[in-house]
Amino acid sequence: MGRSTIEELRLLASRLSGKVIQNINSTFTGGGVAEILSRVLPLLEQLGVDARWNTIKGSPDFFQVTKKFHNTLHGRREDISATDFALFLEVSQQNIREMELYGDIIFIHDPQPVTMVSRKKEIGRKWVWRCHIDVSQPNQKVWSFLEPFIVQYDAAVFSAPSFSHQLPIRQYLISPSIDPLSDKNKELSQQMIDSVLEKYVIPKDKPIITQISRFDYLKDPVGVIQAFEMVRKNIDCRLVFAGGTASDDPESERVLAEVKERAGGNPDIHILLVPPESDVEINALQRASAVIVQKSHREGFGLTVTEALWKAKPVVASAVGGITLQVKNRFTGLLSYGIEGTAYAIRQLLTNPEYAKWLGQNGREHVRYNFLVTRHLRDYLLLFLALEHPQDIIYL
Amino acid sequence: MMVKWLIDNWLKITIPVLAFLASYIVGLWVRRVVSNAFERWASRVRWQGSKVVTTALHRPFLFWFLILGVFIAIQVSVATSQVKGITTKAMGSLFVLSLGWLVINLCGQLLKTYLPRLKANWPTITLAMNVIRATLVVVCALIILEIWGMPTSPLLVLIAVAILAVALALRNAAPNLFAGFHLSATQQIKVSDYIKLETGEQGYVTEISWYNTRIKALDETIIIVPNNRLLQFTVINYGRPLKKAKDPFRFRSRTYIKELTGLRAKNLMELVDTLKKVPDSVIYYHTHRFFEEHHYLIPEPSNDFAVWVNDVLGEEILGERLASVNTFEFPSLGALRERIVVIIEEHLAGGTNSREAMPGREFCFMKSVSVVISTPYVAHDLREFVEALRKISLGSLYFHVFESRLRLGRGLNDFTIWLQDSLEEAELGDEIARLDPYTYTLEGLRSAFIQLIEKRIE
Repeated sequence: MGRSTIEELRLLASRLSGKVIQNINSTFTGGGVAEILSRVLPLLEQLGVDARWNTIKGSPDFFQVTKKFHNTLHGRREDISATDFALFLEVSQQNIREMELYGDIIFIHDPQPVTMVSRKKEIGRKWVWRCHIDVSQPNQKVWSFLEPFIVQYDAAVFSAPSFSHQLPIRQYLISPSIDPLSDKNKELSQQMIDSVLEKYVIPKDKPIITQISRFDYLKDPVGVIQAFEMVRKNIDCRLVFAGGTASDDPESERVLAEVKERAGGNPDIHILLVPPESDVEINALQRASAVIVQKSHREGFGLTVTEALWKAKPVVASAVGGITLQVKNRFTGLLSYGIEGTAYAIRQLLTNPEYAKWLGQNGREHVRYNFLVTRHLRDYLLLFLALEHPQDIIYL
Repeated sequence: MMVKWLIDNWLKITIPVLAFLASYIVGLWVRRVVSNAFERWASRVRWQGSKVVTTALHRPFLFWFLILGVFIAIQVSVATSQVKGITTKAMGSLFVLSLGWLVINLCGQLLKTYLPRLKANWPTITLAMNVIRATLVVVCALIILEIWGMPTSPLLVLIAVAILAVALALRNAAPNLFAGFHLSATQQIKVSDYIKLETGEQGYVTEISWYNTRIKALDETIIIVPNNRLLQFTVINYGRPLKKAKDPFRFRSRTYIKELTGLRAKNLMELVDTLKKVPDSVIYYHTHRFFEEHHYLIPEPSNDFAVWVNDVLGEEILGERLASVNTFEFPSLGALRERIVVIIEEHLAGGTNSREAMPGREFCFMKSVSVVISTPYVAHDLREFVEALRKISLGSLYFHVFESRLRLGRGLNDFTIWLQDSLEEAELGDEIARLDPYTYTLEGLRSAFIQLIEKRIE
């Protein structure tokens, strides 16, 4: 990161002097949104931008419903009843009443707090809805339910071009990012990597294939095991599937149990449930891997892919959501569409280490220029500034 | 009474007066002889300082013989030994003072004659003269005190303490002071030179004082560099300023946020229909996105339409035709759009529109919202321009070369316009305009520009 980048960020931040950015989402811990906010907000503060963070309240039932919203917006079939919508609105009303709205720009993240915009007529201000999930093929019933709220915002932000819809408001593309100095991405010594492998009893005798993700059907953990089994027929290797759970995801325990059952007693498959604060361990597992897989059915952006690319690891990932922004097929990684394709791509990489290395290096450069936190900060600052300027070319 | 005293003592009066007059006459004669001999020697060795020495010695020489005359007259007179002693000391003091004055005068004249030859500037000469003056005054004072039998040790101690105190007070400034003297005497760096320190500071020298040197940086701030650093570190001196531009070039930078239009195309027909109605900024975005995002690795001029048609629809022939559209050839976005539309329509006329993108792989129309910001960098001539080029962000380079030419509709890049209009460097401007920027990485493009400008400066 050069001096000019910092100067540019400071200049943009100075134009937001005196404004308060109020971020609202559903949880302080677990999941990509909380991770992004906890990283970006302190940096915005350092640049002199007054950015704050609040969360809505909700019962387990409410989060069951929002999880259904999440799944169906991702395109998964799931029954959502009128009672579910009613419960969502009831809890939302409670939050609308109780939440103090003090920001000059109110930045709402994901569908859970989307109805907060109902107070726009009353209090004014600028409102932005930040959608972190893949809504390219949403369940129409849920989308139609949310759309009347979305169109009240001044702008919406999506993580991939295909997530946009024809809406009467401005829509921006802001990809998430990683912090290269965070525990999850910083350089690690070989000794540290080895100690993590020892802790989880993963021998170094074979190439390791890894998927890091929450235990979620949308991440297709069973598909990953199937692809691994296909590769394993020809190449001796191990599979590590490591992930955690989020407080707003009540489904993950069930998925974990199913995955463990599917893995059976295969000693080459390591299913690891890691707590949220295990960033260094995740980092070590990624660095110890020969190939990193992200075989998601749907993906908002796929920060685990970004992390893998930053570590110059060859990546095999599904061509869904924001992954296509990161993995340019045969240039910064390999894209796949199914279990067989994933297995084929993994085999290609394991048998051609030079090719795998070249892809990894390209991937790292791609992340350096497009998906580091400085770019993310810049996009947020520009978004806030663009709210005040309707034109395509803004002279500051 | 008076007459009687004179008659009685005429010999006591006449002898001292005669001695005084004799000394004066001898003095006049010796001055002439010495002066003639000195001039002959000086004309033989062609010494330019001879006139200075002759002029400086002219009056003091006679004055010394007058002092000698008074001294002899008193000695041969009937004055008391006490008077004789006081007169001796007074004459000795006068001699020391006149000698000191002569040396100060002589040094001043010689320095004025010779320091300009060393290309020393006026402050150097003044400082050197002041140092010599002060030293001689102190030496003369000490000798005179010695003549009068006054103790000089306390004064010497006082001087030593004073020197020590000054040295301590100036322990940080002294190296800068000496460095300033060195710089001034050697003229390695002069006012108006463009210098660059290995520590990064650079710009035109606006002032060199005894302690520091002021540099006007590229962002028009004044950098004050202690003189000692100019001797300690490697300094590149590019010399005198080059031709000034009528108007300075103010570098701007550009950053952008991507805006989604919500429009999509799943086949060629939808693609071409939407292409016809979207704003120019959409055309600009999709013909420059790949370059912007991958400028670091390979110069890839391919546009998004070509990539999508090829990778998603599998229309390789059309993909190749679209990829071969040379953005650099088009003076406006309208003309570029027209060419892309024509190519797709020609392909459709062949009856092929059966392929559709799978869900999620549709072409999503986007545009960029550019935010143009000022940078601190300003160039008044080619030297400043090339040095600023090394420092500006890639966003700044991109703005002046790509965005201004096509998106802002200037027809040429900003650098060429400035070189031609403000600096009358038409040839260099043309050379820069001829470079196809789409075939370079941004860093490669920066290097190519720098190379051309450096060559021109040389």
